[in-house]
Amino acid sequence: MKITLKNVSFSYTDSIDDAILKDINLQIESGECVVLAGESGSGKTTISKLINGLIPLYQSGTMAGDVLLGDKNTADMTLAEISKYVGSVFQNPRSQFFNVDTDSEIAFGCENLGVEPEEIRRRIDKTVKDFHLESLLGRNIFHLSGGEKQKIACASVNATDPDIFVLDEPSANLDLKTVDDLAEIIKLWKSRGKTVVVVEHRLHYLRDVADRIVYVKDGRIECEWTPAELEAKGPEYAASLGLRSIKLVQLGGARATASESQGESITFRNLKFSYQKKFPILDIPELSLPKGKITALLGHNGAGKSTLAQLVCGLRGSWSQKRAARKLGTYLIMQDVNHQLFTESVLDEVLLGMHPKDETAAFEILESLNLKNYAEKHPMALSGGQKQRVAIASGVSSNRNLIVFDEPTSGLDYRQMLAVSATLKALANRGKTLFVITHDPELVLNCCRHVIRMDHGRIVEEYSL
Amino acid sequence: MKLDPRTKLFLAVAANSVILSAPFAYSVLMVALPAVLLLFERKWKLVFSFFLTYSVAGLGFEYLKGMDLGMAGTLVVATAMLAYRMMPVCVVLYYIMVSTRANEFMAGMSRMHVPNKATIPLTVMIRFFPTVFDESRAIGNAMKMRGIRLFSLQTLKNPFAILEYRLIPLLVSLTKIGDELSVAASTRGLAPETRRTCVVPVGFHLQDVVVFVYCIAIIALFAYSRVSV
Repeated sequence: MKITLKNVSFSYTDSIDDAILKDINLQIESGECVVLAGESGSGKTTISKLINGLIPLYQSGTMAGDVLLGDKNTADMTLAEISKYVGSVFQNPRSQFFNVDTDSEIAFGCENLGVEPEEIRRRIDKTVKDFHLESLLGRNIFHLSGGEKQKIACASVNATDPDIFVLDEPSANLDLKTVDDLAEIIKLWKSRGKTVVVVEHRLHYLRDVADRIVYVKDGRIECEWTPAELEAKGPEYAASLGLRSIKLVQLGGARATASESQGESITFRNLKFSYQKKFPILDIPELSLPKGKITALLGHNGAGKSTLAQLVCGLRGSWSQKRAARKLGTYLIMQDVNHQLFTESVLDEVLLGMHPKDETAAFEILESLNLKNYAEKHPMALSGGQKQRVAIASGVSSNRNLIVFDEPTSGLDYRQMLAVSATLKALANRGKTLFVITHDPELVLNCCRHVIRMDHGRIVEEYSL
Repeated sequence: MKLDPRTKLFLAVAANSVILSAPFAYSVLMVALPAVLLLFERKWKLVFSFFLTYSVAGLGFEYLKGMDLGMAGTLVVATAMLAYRMMPVCVVLYYIMVSTRANEFMAGMSRMHVPNKATIPLTVMIRFFPTVFDESRAIGNAMKMRGIRLFSLQTLKNPFAILEYRLIPLLVSLTKIGDELSVAASTRGLAPETRRTCVVPVGFHLQDVVVFVYCIAIIALFAYSRVSV
């Protein structure tokens, strides 16, 4: 099914003057796979909302122009009608499930469309076979990993058999292996003649699937390339536009034997954890992190990275491990920073963990993280990146030596990734030891000196860059 | 064992009215039913710990209620009473929550001709409970990290602070999740005006009849005992 955007402008407010989209013209042919790329806030997600009808049917605002699916105008349809033609997958795997078990979730869309139960069962069977989901059936959604959840989301949309698929940053929380699975799913859709629109920062996994990459900037379509054209222009060109690399950045380095003996390091011994005695989740005899440096921790979803982080930070493990963590002073910056901001102002947030409370020192920390002007603001009113820096500031103020980051750059564009990287470097320069869990090879290349790779609860590789 | 969602609703109403108004013996008979049903859901541990707390609280209350025990004793008796009156209600609701899928619930409601406009928000609520616990756990972890503990000199000085620390992030993230959830549901065709089908068959079976008869029997017995006295 063809998608046509004709002279579309949209503003989230009453006035079209501060529009987030300005006079967009875009035609996506039936069977095409188009990637919408661009910096955060450029309006690319807004375009995807135009296609799945959330604008103008769910989100209020001011809109001009027409969006046509085939030859029908979305403004004349209802969301329920549109859902027959357009299937959507969203960024946050936690909040797009209506059911608690996977089977019901895959059936959900079909049930809403009033498909007969017999037919629904047939479609579920086919989807499960196509996506290789046999092991995920009958499971509780809350017990799945991020990648597994995203697969179920794709399966559920697939079961309703729409002509158009809209994916809004589907890979934000996925590791490299799961991202490949996602690429396979998109390929399958394309081979069946479906139209696929992907809003995405990470481009590398779409290199072989995408027909066009549409670059959106400040609410306008700036230019278009095929993946090959963009690749030919080189990584510097992409970076100058704030885009992530289209080629998967390869990491590699010398074995860290010489460098390890240089300088001091923080050493953890005997990091073990298991829910049941027979199945150890984590088994690391020794982990040493060079002091004042940034160490990256890589590994697939479910390799035990988060468990390791929680052990190191004293959130799990035995009494003695917890006491050791407290003595050393460790601090975890969570992936969802919303969970760790509690107070009414940025300054309070920094003062909360300080003993004794010292406002000048607090201001100094805020200044070093470019937060001085926000000292009196409510933390929840800040942007994502600012919130993250507030969380970091509170870790610094409570005088912790080891700061652990859980996926600090998931869902960020190139420029934001560079900003995070700069913050990390600044922290290391202050003498803090940093341990960064990440799936982001570009971040690793930018700021990490040491790399540790985990698999099945063990360290399988260690090297310096 | 599967019960029809309508039977579960009836069970909830019947159990709550008996437990909150009838004497101990009747509420024991009544609460036995959801406890047994929870065993079918393989919640052994939960049922066992419930059984233990409930009997201790219930028997303790029945034994102590007439005595003059002073301030501290009264507090204990009051707590015991609260536990033994409220716990069964929670058990019934918990049973319904863990055993009912969203689609079954919606199908059951539409069979009773409840309009979708009322059903959809109710279903969202059922879906929301596990999310609240999940989020709350993550926030608890973050607080531990910051060194904010539930029992410390600082929190004793300012007990409301701990409430604030816990609630503000919870509310913010729940608001966001709630919005994203309704966006996801509406792009997948959940709307008041459409007729849904349900992949799980919904209907009354022998076990539903048993539950109905059991509940009605207890209510009748209770009513009879009231009239004859």
